[in-house]
Amino acid sequence: MFTHLHVASGFSFKYGTTQPEALVERAAELGMKSLALTDRSFAGAIRFAQSCQEFSIAPILGIDLAFENIKTSEKNKTYEKKKYRATILAPSGKWSALLRLTTALQMTSTSDTPIITREFLQTFATYSQELLLFHGPQSPLAEAITHRHTKKAHEIYAATRDFFAEQVIEVVSHLAPGDGPYSTPHAARMLAFARENKVRAVLTNAVRMRDRSDGPIADILDAARTLRPLHRTTVARRNAEGFLKSSEEMARVADQITRTASERSSAQLLRDTEELAEELALSPENDLGIGGIHLPEPQSVGARDHAEMAQHFRQRCIAGMNWRYGNSDLLTKAEVRLEAELQTVHTLGYESYFLTVADIALRARESGIRVAARGSGAGSLICHVLGISGVEPITHGLLMERFCSPLRRALPDIDIDVESARRLEIYDQVFAHYGDTQWQKPGNTSRCATVAMIETYRARHAIRDTGAALGLPPMEIDLIAKSLPHIRARNISQALANLPELKNLRLDTPLLKMAIGLAERLDGLPRNIAMHPCAVALSDSAFLDHAPLERNASGYPMVQFDKDDVEAIGLLKLDILGVRMQSTLAYAVAEIARVEEKEIDLDAIPLDDSKTFELIRSTKTLGLFQIESPGQRELVGKFAPETFNDLIIDISLFRPGPVKSDMITPFLNARQGWKARELFHGDLRGVLAETEGVVVFHEQVIHIISIMTGISLAEADEKRRALSTPEGQQEICDWFFPTARARGYELRLVTEIWEVLRAFASFGFCKAHAAAFALPTYQSAWLKTHYPAAFLAGVLTHDPGMYPKRLIMDEVRQWGIEIAPLDVNHSARTHRVEKYRSPKNSENLESNERYGIRLALSDLHGISDGEITTIIAGQPYLDLADFVRRSGASQPICEALVLIGGFDSLHSETHRRDLLLHLSDLYRWSGAQKLGGSQLTLGFAPPLERSGLPDVTASEKVKFELDHLGMDISHHVIEFYAEFLNEIGAVRSSELHNHRSQSEVLVAGVRVALQTPPVRSGRRVLFLTLNDGYGCSDITFFENTQSEFAETLYRSSLFLVKGVIRKTGPRGISLRGIGAWELSSAYEKWRNKTRKVAVCE
Amino acid sequence: MFENSPLPENSTEIVLYDGEPIEFTYKGRQFRIHAVLSSWRESGGWWNRASDGLYRPDDGSRAIWRVEAAPIGALTTFEIEREEISEVTGEVRWRIRPSSRALRSS
Repeated sequence: MFTHLHVASGFSFKYGTTQPEALVERAAELGMKSLALTDRSFAGAIRFAQSCQEFSIAPILGIDLAFENIKTSEKNKTYEKKKYRATILAPSGKWSALLRLTTALQMTSTSDTPIITREFLQTFATYSQELLLFHGPQSPLAEAITHRHTKKAHEIYAATRDFFAEQVIEVVSHLAPGDGPYSTPHAARMLAFARENKVRAVLTNAVRMRDRSDGPIADILDAARTLRPLHRTTVARRNAEGFLKSSEEMARVADQITRTASERSSAQLLRDTEELAEELALSPENDLGIGGIHLPEPQSVGARDHAEMAQHFRQRCIAGMNWRYGNSDLLTKAEVRLEAELQTVHTLGYESYFLTVADIALRARESGIRVAARGSGAGSLICHVLGISGVEPITHGLLMERFCSPLRRALPDIDIDVESARRLEIYDQVFAHYGDTQWQKPGNTSRCATVAMIETYRARHAIRDTGAALGLPPMEIDLIAKSLPHIRARNISQALANLPELKNLRLDTPLLKMAIGLAERLDGLPRNIAMHPCAVALSDSAFLDHAPLERNASGYPMVQFDKDDVEAIGLLKLDILGVRMQSTLAYAVAEIARVEEKEIDLDAIPLDDSKTFELIRSTKTLGLFQIESPGQRELVGKFAPETFNDLIIDISLFRPGPVKSDMITPFLNARQGWKARELFHGDLRGVLAETEGVVVFHEQVIHIISIMTGISLAEADEKRRALSTPEGQQEICDWFFPTARARGYELRLVTEIWEVLRAFASFGFCKAHAAAFALPTYQSAWLKTHYPAAFLAGVLTHDPGMYPKRLIMDEVRQWGIEIAPLDVNHSARTHRVEKYRSPKNSENLESNERYGIRLALSDLHGISDGEITTIIAGQPYLDLADFVRRSGASQPICEALVLIGGFDSLHSETHRRDLLLHLSDLYRWSGAQKLGGSQLTLGFAPPLERSGLPDVTASEKVKFELDHLGMDISHHVIEFYAEFLNEIGAVRSSELHNHRSQSEVLVAGVRVALQTPPVRSGRRVLFLTLNDGYGCSDITFFENTQSEFAETLYRSSLFLVKGVIRKTGPRGISLRGIGAWELSSAYEKWRNKTRKVAVCE
Repeated sequence: MFENSPLPENSTEIVLYDGEPIEFTYKGRQFRIHAVLSSWRESGGWWNRASDGLYRPDDGSRAIWRVEAAPIGALTTFEIEREEISEVTGEVRWRIRPSSRALRSS
């Protein structure tokens, strides 16, 4: 039986044509007992080994690396230009040496494609001496053999002899024409070289395809990798023989080669290959560490050994108990629960896991960075008392079992949300604490790395790369690629058939048909390795024995494994997500401290502030976390949340699952008392009452199963997980009915409950996760209620939500907060709160406090970071001339600042047009000075004169603001149409609720958002949100009106819309659109014609 | 082991043994392959075959054999004979003569 020892999969990015799993499957079909994967990266290694486990095949692993040609006396230019490759393989038990060698190469290299050099091997011989070097068809040695430079071949061989455990000659024939590499004559000469020098020779097929028919895919990948179109001269592949051949086919190749080499038979070559394969077989468990757990060791969390760490862990939890529950009625309950959780963690041996995450959170907090837990981790009391999670789990019925239980061996998943603007500071802390920067010599003890993310071919990239390879016109490729939705590559033709805008593209030309057919075959192939946006892997000092690292563009070391691989080999994976809302909250708190001199601890505010819930119920939720979208505003309006638990429910209900299955209606009906709620049975009352009998949370499913069958919560969670598959459902069904009946529940009830479990288990939401989200939601609402200026300044600065800045500006005005113009002396980098006291009414100082938000220098389009820094450093400025001299701002930026009024407060006597003339005088004068060779001297600038020209008009001001700030500040653009809108009786958005349901109205405004979300019926619906300076109106256009108005909707930004009012709840109002026109053209018609409005006819 | 493989374009035949050609018909005459000088496989260039409709998405490889062949019967057949004259001295005599079949055809 033959074993392939040189095999590339798709994880040799843009080289191999096949997924590793498919190669393993084929090898199994061919009856092979072992298989190697020698990719150009290790990114496919874990899934390969897992697949090998499944098919009982022994995995062999190696790496295909670029090699320098060993410089020798016989210098020849053709050697130097080429790129050489050779593979290095790990003998059984030496996997970690291979990983460490590759990591060292990646981390010490300065180029994108690291090259193995003699110097490198000298430094890291400790690792390479455990490994095998294969001189394959692309190696320098093969090149020497091609040119019949036997002496050179000897030198190459001798030069690396001391660095490897063994060197092996790879004999490869793809039956290529000629007598170069991949031809039978070349293979025969390689074999002869091995025999003469008594070196082991093995037969391989340098595989990069699964089947002969994959040839064109290999060509497309070559073209995509080298960025050249397909052509005889650019395609490396000579034929399609580099595929995973059967043992019989390989025996035939062996016969040909040995016959050409005048060897009596191929037996020795094949036997040697098999023997080596046995020496190279790795164990997925013992060598790769699959299924093991490698958490940080006690030392890295400050303990000497495991016993001390366990004790240390308990003490920290107890200390945390006093902090969180010292004065709480829940203390006794919490103590009992903590004991149970500690027991679970101890059984699983996860102490260091919790301590590591707690340390990271603690260090972040100590540097003033906001941290919040997300996901099921919020269900753990330990996470709460260690300061990882802010939500109190007992009050809200959150379960540890949903997060972590002895019945599940997989490591639990803790994710933390941090301030987006300071996320990398936490990375720096993690790497400073767990990392090691000593890459220049062996023995690095890094315990952490960022995690990789494999980008695969989907429709757009597939059609782009295929089209470019085939030389299709770039415009044509671009058009197709852009019009394709984000779908799998294999569905391209299906999607193209359904896209009306591509009808006239003539997709049936032979070349385009060919391109589409090939693009579909790229489906799912790895395209690129990138850094996962938030995951970090942590482990012990043996981390680098299990995981290969590479350098990433970000500068942080990155493990070549993806999230699933990292979990498979039992590393601690922590997601550190940057959340803009957390930055917003931090910014608001800092502004309050600066302006009001009040220190606010957001994590200690009471969660039952009635004013905060009043704000939420008013649906004025713009800028708030999670509940600002039009859909959420509608839901909040109908639901009217009163407690923190209501917020948790609200967030859980507003997701695709519950929306599609219409869980919301029965919940709201019961909540508003319109229909009686159904609580099924007294035993379930406690579980179901909070959600009016509707099963919303995973935690409820767990409780129901536990109550009705008497099993533990941990066991019940296992049952809940099983419900997600049809087979699992059947199994649970067969068990649930008799068990629940045996506990005395009536068949009718059991049947009803079973239906609920079956239907809602897949839609349910983890309550801990929702609670973790509800906390920043509440905190943002609390800030907006009590410190609206500081909060909105934070929203403007960190842009946490879905709305454009101009809408947030409008919200600022709605709240009676002044918008202070951009000013060269008062504006900072970010949006700052200003507090004014009006002196006129001095008897009641408090109520005469007014607030403003000062526009930021960063609002100005085109301003650079450096300019902002120098402008701020130069503040204050005496006048425009002073600013030009000292601020470091470019001329266009100075002009823009003049136009938007940045100097109005400095030059209150002079209007903007004269200032602009003055500015150009200043530049002309300083240009002349420079020509004359003298410096710009103070006091001799040209004087500021009045030209007598009129000042810019109000509408010009708005135009400048829109041009340079992207928003209207001095006036709302709609104001210019006020007369027209009043005349035709258009309704302000704030007054819509005064109109009856089903009445027809006209509204106007600036487009805030236009969305086409997927809806239940599958028909396309357009959601338009308009802002008119008084608030927002939401208009829905259904299919019947789209054909007439869709183009206008997509093209314009200012609208006049006719709609029918639909009241959706106590506060909720939505319009059904029946007409939409561009506001300016409607206005023109009105002005030009009669007082009768054209659009109303 | 023997099989006949028809060539559609000129309705001639190739006789294969174990997958390798041993005889073929060329311009009406039957040839026997006496030696394979070299053999290789080629593929590629499929992207040029889009417009003429000959493109096949699997681009299977083409095998080529470079051979020495002669029409069957075109070669002269000889008989080489060795006669041992004396077992004691080891003396032998060699004779070479055209075989009867070759004589018939010439």
